[in-house]
Amino acid sequence: MTNRTERVQALYLDRQAVAKYVSRAFGLAVLSLVIWRVISVGLAEGYPASFWISQALNGLVLGGVYALVALGYTLVYGILFMINFAHGEVMMLGGLAGFFALQFAQSRGWMDGPALVVIAALLFILLIGMVASVLIGISLERLAYRPLRQAPRLVPLISAIGASLFLQYSVLLIFGVSPHTYRKPALISGGLRLGDVFIPYTGAIIFITSALLMLVLYFIIQRTKLGRAIRAVAEDRATAALMGVDVNAVIVVTFVLGSALAGAAGVMLGFHNTVVKFNSGFIPGLKAFTAAVLGGIGNIPGAMFGALVLGLIEAIGPSALGIPTEYKDVLSFTVLILILIFRPSGLLGEVLSENKA
Amino acid sequence: MQKRFTILGCLVVAILLFAACAVPAAAPAADMSAADPTSAAPAEEPAMDMSGKVVIPSGEMIRIGGSFALTGPIPDPGKDIRQGAEIAIDGLNAAGGLEGFMFELVAEDGACDGTQGTNVGNKFAADETIVAVSGGTCSGETFGLIPILQEARIPFVSPSATNPDITSADCDVCNRVALSDALQGVTDADFVFNDLGLTKVAVVHDNGDYGKGLAEIFQNHIQTLGGEVTNFEGAQVGDTDFRALLAKIGANGPQLIFFGGYSTEAGLIAQQMTETPGLEDTRFMSDDGAYTQQYLDAAGEAAEGSYISFVAGAESEDMNSEFDAKYMEKFGVSPDDLGPFHSQSYDSVMLIAAALQAVATVDSSGNLVIDREELISAIRTVDAFAGLTGMIQCNDMGECGAGGIQIFQVQGGAFDQVSGFGLE
Repeated sequence: MTNRTERVQALYLDRQAVAKYVSRAFGLAVLSLVIWRVISVGLAEGYPASFWISQALNGLVLGGVYALVALGYTLVYGILFMINFAHGEVMMLGGLAGFFALQFAQSRGWMDGPALVVIAALLFILLIGMVASVLIGISLERLAYRPLRQAPRLVPLISAIGASLFLQYSVLLIFGVSPHTYRKPALISGGLRLGDVFIPYTGAIIFITSALLMLVLYFIIQRTKLGRAIRAVAEDRATAALMGVDVNAVIVVTFVLGSALAGAAGVMLGFHNTVVKFNSGFIPGLKAFTAAVLGGIGNIPGAMFGALVLGLIEAIGPSALGIPTEYKDVLSFTVLILILIFRPSGLLGEVLSENKA
Repeated sequence: MQKRFTILGCLVVAILLFAACAVPAAAPAADMSAADPTSAAPAEEPAMDMSGKVVIPSGEMIRIGGSFALTGPIPDPGKDIRQGAEIAIDGLNAAGGLEGFMFELVAEDGACDGTQGTNVGNKFAADETIVAVSGGTCSGETFGLIPILQEARIPFVSPSATNPDITSADCDVCNRVALSDALQGVTDADFVFNDLGLTKVAVVHDNGDYGKGLAEIFQNHIQTLGGEVTNFEGAQVGDTDFRALLAKIGANGPQLIFFGGYSTEAGLIAQQMTETPGLEDTRFMSDDGAYTQQYLDAAGEAAEGSYISFVAGAESEDMNSEFDAKYMEKFGVSPDDLGPFHSQSYDSVMLIAAALQAVATVDSSGNLVIDREELISAIRTVDAFAGLTGMIQCNDMGECGAGGIQIFQVQGGAFDQVSGFGLE
């Protein structure tokens, strides 16, 4: 009898080992195919180096935006173990609020003033966008998620999708279907020209600002008492509550942080791409979610890393693989699937609590 | 013994499955014949056994459906087209309607999208009082309408769907007042190659039926003329960041980028081109989908110098100023602020009305009777009449538009005609 159990166990282990080898072989095959394709296309097309640098810069800007939004997904997931699918709409509403703030600033003539005034006005617009997003984020938490906190995990997910559609179509009804166009002030239109490489000012601002905001977030999470409370709740909500942490307050703060970053992303994306409309948060939201999963959901450096990787893949991938650029979304979601197959916990693993956050 | 039970068991299961499938299928059919008022109605009223005929009892309205892109990528032009149709309906009713019957526009949102076009088509097909349809606005949306309206025998006249395949020998209900892109794409390519003298171009489209169709015609004709097409790239409707795509095109240094698609994407491409290495001196051209204020807004200063083509009608001054005044009075905006196709929309409703005039008869009990088949052929055979866009008369393919292609250049934030139809 024992003999048989052992045999079955051995067979099972064998199968596991075989499955592991097969999946690794498959992964290697995919990887080598990609490398071969990149090399052969690179040789055939002969793009100059400045082309790759331009594309990489495009990718970094895209990645910066995705990172800001992805952090919101990851923070909320780390604390509540739910995906806040309305987060893209939080970003869109930040962009919309920024648009109205910009119109106000233009009507006061601030955007045509001296450089200092314009910079102050831009910061004011960014602040308005962030505040609007924070208000939306807090209301979402209070109205759509808190009542369902004890419910099974699927329920808040459905609520989040509902909230996402509610926000999109409310904006559609209130502000109309036509896109709202940001007018860039002269100070930030145009860009730096370094040889054959062009860096738009808005792109540089996005990258620098998102890096700064991420540093601030990292500092808050790692070095402050508040951050310790957030990490404690992420680790074990019940024990944290027993230790005197106000769990509700911590959850609200998490939504505030995530929404503020999304609002900043919305405003900066508004200046960079110049249009905002009711559904303009949907695709970036989905991409940012992908970035969060790519880096390991619940993991803050993971979200930043995943977002940069995704941005670079989207910008460089189609040219490097010699496929039409319209397949960029196919490419990024293919990468997501491959990551989920070979590293289900993401590139950097799936932890907010422990020492990684 | 055991085997026999297995077979028996299988049989029982099979019968149960069969019954389970058959019962629900049969039940609604029975319900429908009993409860559906529309199918029961002809039995109650005598002299109404008229399949293929629309019977409008006296006091009711003549209902014309409208599929307009009220949401989706071009909401402003969609609204403009709807309002143009409403002005036509108002005008018809003010003139006493048809045999004392008034017209009504049943506007639906086709959203410039094939799926939504299908939904709108199904709605109209299910409504027996709809006699004809004005629309759809976009080509993709209209492709959604075609098979359904064809089967329901409801003729449509599109004011603005320009894809060449909208009208075909197989479709007798398909008509349009707009001009086919077969003309626009070729005219645009001629203009670029011969008038501007540019031989190296890149072509971008939005992967829609309209944009991609036009882009392909443009590409083919440039190549026929002997020009070089460096890239043929697709984007998505709703994209806002075209920098990666443009960088790829920039590496080949074309002299002009042609975009087949709608306003917002066209504007963003024109704007982001200025930031792309290799495209600093490249010119930009787009199509009638971008002949809007929305394009100028989205492109900002980058719009200056870009070329836009439009499928224009021969505009008679008097009729148009009268139309503009009515439009202004009813909606409080000038028609040109929203979009370009209001005149075509007005004409498409007038064409439907003219065909109805030719075939509608009043029966002994005072009902207006319209034979669907007669109406379908009447749209193509009705006498030419003067519309806002010129003399409207259909050929046997359903091409009813008048006029030609105009090419504009943006100068000082406004469209300034530089070539084409109607220019002295």
